[in-house]
Amino acid sequence: MLVNAYSRKVFNMAYQFSGSAQEAEDMTQEIFLKLYSSLRKYDFARNFTAWLLTLTKNHLIDEYRRTKWEKTRRDEFNDQVIAQDAFSGPERSLVREENKKLVWESLDRLSPEIRMAVILRDIQGRTYEEIAESQSLPLGTVKSRVNRGRLQLARILKDRQGELT
Amino acid sequence: MNDAHMEELLSAYLEGGLDESRAADVGRHLASCPDCSLLLEAMKDVREALGALPEVDLSPALLRKLYAIPEKRRFRLVPDFLLRPSLQPVFAGATGLLIFVSFLAFSPGGRTFQKSVNRQLHIGYSKVERLYAKAGSLTDEMGSYKETILGSLKNVKLLKKDGEQ
Repeated sequence: MLVNAYSRKVFNMAYQFSGSAQEAEDMTQEIFLKLYSSLRKYDFARNFTAWLLTLTKNHLIDEYRRTKWEKTRRDEFNDQVIAQDAFSGPERSLVREENKKLVWESLDRLSPEIRMAVILRDIQGRTYEEIAESQSLPLGTVKSRVNRGRLQLARILKDRQGELT
Repeated sequence: MNDAHMEELLSAYLEGGLDESRAADVGRHLASCPDCSLLLEAMKDVREALGALPEVDLSPALLRKLYAIPEKRRFRLVPDFLLRPSLQPVFAGATGLLIFVSFLAFSPGGRTFQKSVNRQLHIGYSKVERLYAKAGSLTDEMGSYKETILGSLKNVKLLKKDGEQ
C-alpha cells in the first residue's frame, strides 16, 4: 500500500524542508491527495520512487513560494535519538549535537532550490543522478547547488565555531 | 588556484570526485591556506550533521488521515482542492460567519437583536439630524450677531467723524 511504503519518506522530506511538523503534516496530506489523483497519469515505464520524489519536490517548492514559510520559524531542534558516541568522549558528542542543532536551524537560510538539493543529497542520501532526474536538471547544476548549500552552511558553522573559541 | 575556485571544488574533493592531479592541487592549496582548510573541516561537520539528522515518525492521527484518502476519493462529493488542509481555517471562518448570519436571520432572539440594532441606528441618525439642525440655527444666529456688530461699528465711526468736524 502506498501509505505504508512512502508516507514516512514524504513526511520526513516535508519536515526537513519546512522545519515545522504541523506544516509537514498538512503537506503530506496534500501530496497524497495529489498522488492519488495523478496516479492515472503515471507512466509505468518510469521509476515510481523518482516520480513520487518529483511530485513531492514540486509541491513543496510551489507551496513554499506561494505561502512563504520562511516567515514561520523552524521547530525547536529535538533529536529523538541522542545516542552517545561509544568511541568519542561526551565533549565531542556535545559538539556534534550543537552542530546538528545549528545546521538544522540554518537550513532555512538556503534558497528553496538549494535547500532541496542539500536535503536530497545529504539527508536522504540520494545520488546526484537521482536528484538530477527528479528535478529535471543537468548533473552539473545539481552538484553546484549541493556545493553552494554545503558552503553556506559550513560558513555559518565556521563563524559559530570562531565565536566559541 | 584562488580561494573562489577552490571553494567550487570542495564538495567534489570531499566525495573523491576529482581526478588525481586536481585532487593534488586542492591538497596543496589546503596545506597552505588555513581559511580554506577550516572551511573544509566545517563542510565535513555539516555533512556529518545532516547525515545524522534523525527520521521522524508519523503521528497515528496523520496515518489515519492518509489511510482515509482513497476512501474519501471513492465517495467524494467535492473536488480535491477543497480537501486541502490549508483551506481548513477558511472553512472554519466561513462556518462561524454563516452561524452568525443564520442566528440573525432565523432565530427569534436574533430578530430581537436585529430590531434593537435598527432602533439604535435610528436613534443615532435622529441625534445626528438634531445636532445638524442646531448647528444650522447657530450659524444663522452668528450671522445676525455679525450684522449687529458691523452696524454698531459703522455708527461708532460716524460719531467719531462728527466729533472731529
